Amino acid sequence: MKRGLVSWDKSELPVDELAGRLAAVHAVARKKSVDAVVLYSDVWRSNDARYLSNYMPYWNRAFVVVPRDEKPLLLCALSPRVYPWIKTVTTHETILPSPSPPANLFKLCAERGWKWVGVVDLDGLPADLHAEMVAGKVELVDIPHHEIRSAPTEVEVWMHARAARMAREVLEKELPAAKGQTDHELIGRLERQLRRAGAEDVVVLVSDGEGPPIPAEGRTVGAHTSIVVANEYNGHWAKVTRNVAGVTSRLPARDGVTELREILSGRYSWETLDDAKVAAVVSLQLAIPDGSRHLYYGDTCLQGREGLRVL
Amino acid sequence: MLKLNPQRKQEFLELMAQRGWDLLLFYGDTWRKDHFRCLVSVCFNGPQALAVLTKEGEVRAVVTHPWDVEPVKTATGGSVICVPRLVDGLKTTLRDAGKAVVAINGLEQMEARFVRAVKEVTGAAPTSATAAVEEIRRVKTQEELEQIRKAAELADRGYEQFVRVARAGMTEFELVAEVEAFVKAHGAEDNFMLVASGGTEVTAMKPPTARKLQVGDSVITELTPQINGYYAQICRTLIIGPPSEKQLQSYAIFAEAQQAAEDLLRPGVDISDVARVQNDVFRKHGYGEYTGSQYTRVRGHNLGLYPDELPHVLENTHYTCKKDMVIICHPNTYLPLSGYMVFGDTLVVTDTGCVSLSKTAKRLFQA
Repeated sequence: MKRGLVSWDKSELPVDELAGRLAAVHAVARKKSVDAVVLYSDVWRSNDARYLSNYMPYWNRAFVVVPRDEKPLLLCALSPRVYPWIKTVTTHETILPSPSPPANLFKLCAERGWKWVGVVDLDGLPADLHAEMVAGKVELVDIPHHEIRSAPTEVEVWMHARAARMAREVLEKELPAAKGQTDHELIGRLERQLRRAGAEDVVVLVSDGEGPPIPAEGRTVGAHTSIVVANEYNGHWAKVTRNVAGVTSRLPARDGVTELREILSGRYSWETLDDAKVAAVVSLQLAIPDGSRHLYYGDTCLQGREGLRVL
Repeated sequence: MLKLNPQRKQEFLELMAQRGWDLLLFYGDTWRKDHFRCLVSVCFNGPQALAVLTKEGEVRAVVTHPWDVEPVKTATGGSVICVPRLVDGLKTTLRDAGKAVVAINGLEQMEARFVRAVKEVTGAAPTSATAAVEEIRRVKTQEELEQIRKAAELADRGYEQFVRVARAGMTEFELVAEVEAFVKAHGAEDNFMLVASGGTEVTAMKPPTARKLQVGDSVITELTPQINGYYAQICRTLIIGPPSEKQLQSYAIFAEAQQAAEDLLRPGVDISDVARVQNDVFRKHGYGEYTGSQYTRVRGHNLGLYPDELPHVLENTHYTCKKDMVIICHPNTYLPLSGYMVFGDTLVVTDTGCVSLSKTAKRLFQA
């Protein structure tokens, strides 16, 4: 859950960058002949809304509604008491209290005479919202996810790289002295530094070499321990994995090394990715055989047709 | 901690028999893992996970991340399919279901395409089991209570750390970093924490900002560590420097309201009355208007595998409280005396009343 710093540093994420993304959604609206485009957002499916307006819900659901050629509106189930804060960290100037985002969307449609509304990944909506949406009197048009977000922009890549650098730095600092600590203690040390450096969310997994990385269980960190740090910095995730033994591997994997790719900028915060060519910021995790055990090693990379680049 | 609670499983099987369900699906996504974890207590790593309980008592699972296979298999003892796209796993696992009657816990949160896939395989739209399962989850088992007690103890220690480190000049996010690190270092799996600082301009809690704490600030937090899946919560207010008369006056009202809830809560009480007695205290002191949705959200809520379980403690919500429910009563709201203030304890309903699991002193703290 988001309990670190949710902010908008305009020197890192310029207003012009967000304006460019909005213009691209406007272009999709015109191409599809829809009156508005809707993007769904909740605590862990926040990437699309964050991409467009920098809106990051710490709780609850919302629709970002982009009327054709207008600024986006936020239909938000959070209390109006937090809207002043939301306005400081997003591009949203208009936020409409919406315990039911579809109900408020239909109200907007009626007020503005909208007949056709595009919904990004319509079938990916939660079932209750989907049922409300299809029961309305507006024609819904599915907009595939890739049409609003194609290749990552330079700014996105830079932010993911910043998140990855933060994770690498704390691991390099803490892992050499970690032997003998419990995994909980180590995670506490990692979290403290990452969150003080401005991390928005942190998820750490631990492997003892006998099984895959899992949440900490109070085990002692030993020679076969590997640590996976997922670090979110201003809406951009990175995953970096290191092991106490200091074993590294070439990325991508060589023979005998199991490889796992996850997309870090998709609909969810991370999903397994089976296309090694599509342009995306990915997490690459390797399981390296070590006798009867496995050591894990991984990093955050930009992948494309030309291959991988560690960020 | 058992990874597959036999008592819960039996209760779910009885529910299935009563409702005529052949298969009960438990769908969790990364936000609402609780819908899955109420049967299989594994903190999965992928975006979704699904457990299938057959009326014969078999548990199968579909996970979307390879690292989830082993822990889920160990927990369930049944088959586990790993697929990048859950819809594929759903179709595979329900392949032989025929015309089975399917109910889904967490259906509302499920992607619409998943619900459609179930319908395509079985020929009928699945039923939502969410409310019925939540009703079972509301009354905690002794093992669950033990986990919540541990979480409450950690919440107390986490708040001690909060008081220890809070000081003028520190940013809100640095304060949260210190507390988050502390509870994680002491075994928290997760922690839901909101915060705010300032004076009468503060109308709500939210994630921490870069605002620096100042002398005279009210620093408010709800701290909600999770142990083995289960959350407990504590709400307290701390003043940087000596409290003002108005802050003390405000705190006294909150303490009286919370105590009124604690005095009333017992089996058989309507949850609306637990809200009413809290609001009545504000009314008595002339602040009744600050008990409405313009200024506050709820007067408390149930706790368990999700930090904001139903029922909410509201005057228009009716629910008869039962023994072994775990509820936080917190009359958190805005008052013009001191801005938004919070105060609340995690309470377990007993045979004759309730006991607080929160041991932190009931006072206005000072740093």
